[in-house]
Amino acid sequence: MKQSFGHLMLFIKNTFLSIGLVTFLSSCASNSQQSLYDEIGGQAVLETLVDNFIMEIASDNRVLPRFLDSNVNRFREKMIEHMCLLADGPCIYTGDDMVQVHAGMNINSAEFNAIVEDLMSAMDKTGIALSSQNQILERMAPLRPQVIGI
Amino acid sequence: MNLAGLTSVCALTLLVMCPELVSAQEQPVNRDGKILGTGGVSSISGAGGGGLIPWATLSSYADEGQRGGSVFRTRVDVDAYQLDIDGGALAFGNRIEFSFARQNLLVKPANLHVRQNKTGIKVRVLGDIIFDKAPQITLGAERGSLRDKGLARAVGAQHTSGTDYTVSFAKAWLNGIGHRTTLVNVNVRYGNANQFGLLGYGGDDQDAKWTAEFAAAVFLTRQLVLGAEYRQKPDNLGALREENAHDLFLAYFPNKRVSLTAAWVDLGEIAGARNQQGVYLSAQLTF
Ligand code: HEM
Repeated sequence: MKQSFGHLMLFIKNTFLSIGLVTFLSSCASNSQQSLYDEIGGQAVLETLVDNFIMEIASDNRVLPRFLDSNVNRFREKMIEHMCLLADGPCIYTGDDMVQVHAGMNINSAEFNAIVEDLMSAMDKTGIALSSQNQILERMAPLRPQVIGI
Repeated sequence: MNLAGLTSVCALTLLVMCPELVSAQEQPVNRDGKILGTGGVSSISGAGGGGLIPWATLSSYADEGQRGGSVFRTRVDVDAYQLDIDGGALAFGNRIEFSFARQNLLVKPANLHVRQNKTGIKVRVLGDIIFDKAPQITLGAERGSLRDKGLARAVGAQHTSGTDYTVSFAKAWLNGIGHRTTLVNVNVRYGNANQFGLLGYGGDDQDAKWTAEFAAAVFLTRQLVLGAEYRQKPDNLGALREENAHDLFLAYFPNKRVSLTAAWVDLGEIAGARNQQGVYLSAQLTF
């Protein structure tokens, strides 16, 4: 009885040590200048994210009317490139600049927030961690003046 | 909750679920423009907050060009007192908010009730809490009027009604502490309310004073917010000590219709009863 208790303690101790080691190593890994693009899982995850994003927009009556005349394939491609760039991924953005794209639409604050919420849901569905989500959002936020009210 | 309260909540739920009953809007989707949680909860004065203090946020999810509102019920239960509040707010275009609250304080040892009505107005003068670098700034006024005036007179308050003026600053960082969305709010208040006005307004010490209030909150998830508040109180009554209040809260936003807040509050000394600590519970419906 006494001996098995000793084994148990040893087991617990080792488990904690290895958990500690893993946490330590993974914290090193994330400190070593890993890009946000890599953190969320690279190209494959980004593509799933944009697919989910399009699905969210398609079922959001607050903004869907805006996209009725758009070419979904082009939007998908340019959006993937654009988000890849935001996340410091290895991509070149070949779309139009933000002001050009959204000029003349006179998008308001509520529509902008709706898009943000659609993106949040899409990120949830893609399984992107909240901490990575917030970094993506933080990088998109400054683009707001190039999108709304123009 | 009494029957009248229950009926009004039921009626409200109906309105929430069938908004076309309220107003035949041409664009049925033109509502709920703000992001989940950014309408905040209802403070004890009815103004959008915060709990013990209002914040530079406007109630409901009405963004520019939209209308919205909220109703709430709150109970603060500390050692010697219980404060029941119900009220609501209407917001127009994320610009202006009108609020109302009925407070009912029970002084437990004396089995005495003190009722007060609060009305408030708050205007967003500048900024966007999330998307601007500078903070969102609001100007507010909260008027309190005691319906039961005896206690206030007995403790030496000069008036049984009064108005507080507030300037509020709030800023949220999407990617804040621990990569969680983080909010900081600061209020500067000018007024003479003794214990939120429940002990009247003004006293022998000094009349209106400047006080400061702070709040900080972290979105643990998109729906769950952990935070703390601090409220400086004026201490105008010569005979009684008034101390600062603070709280630690958890607010839950399952969707844009409902919020639930639970908090631990420490209101300090109130009318001779020291160390008033206890719980704060609040439920809010938004439409
Ligand atoms: C920071 C926020 C936003 C970003 C980063 C963004 C980015 C983009 C990108 C990269 C494209 C493709 C550009 C191209 O085809 O060359 C695009 C297209 C578009 N965006 Fe946005 N957008 C944002 C917000 C919004 C909002 C709020 C709306 C309206 C609700 C909106 C409506 C559109 C529409 C309708 C198109 C398609 C335009 C077309 O078909 O020609 N965007 N956006």
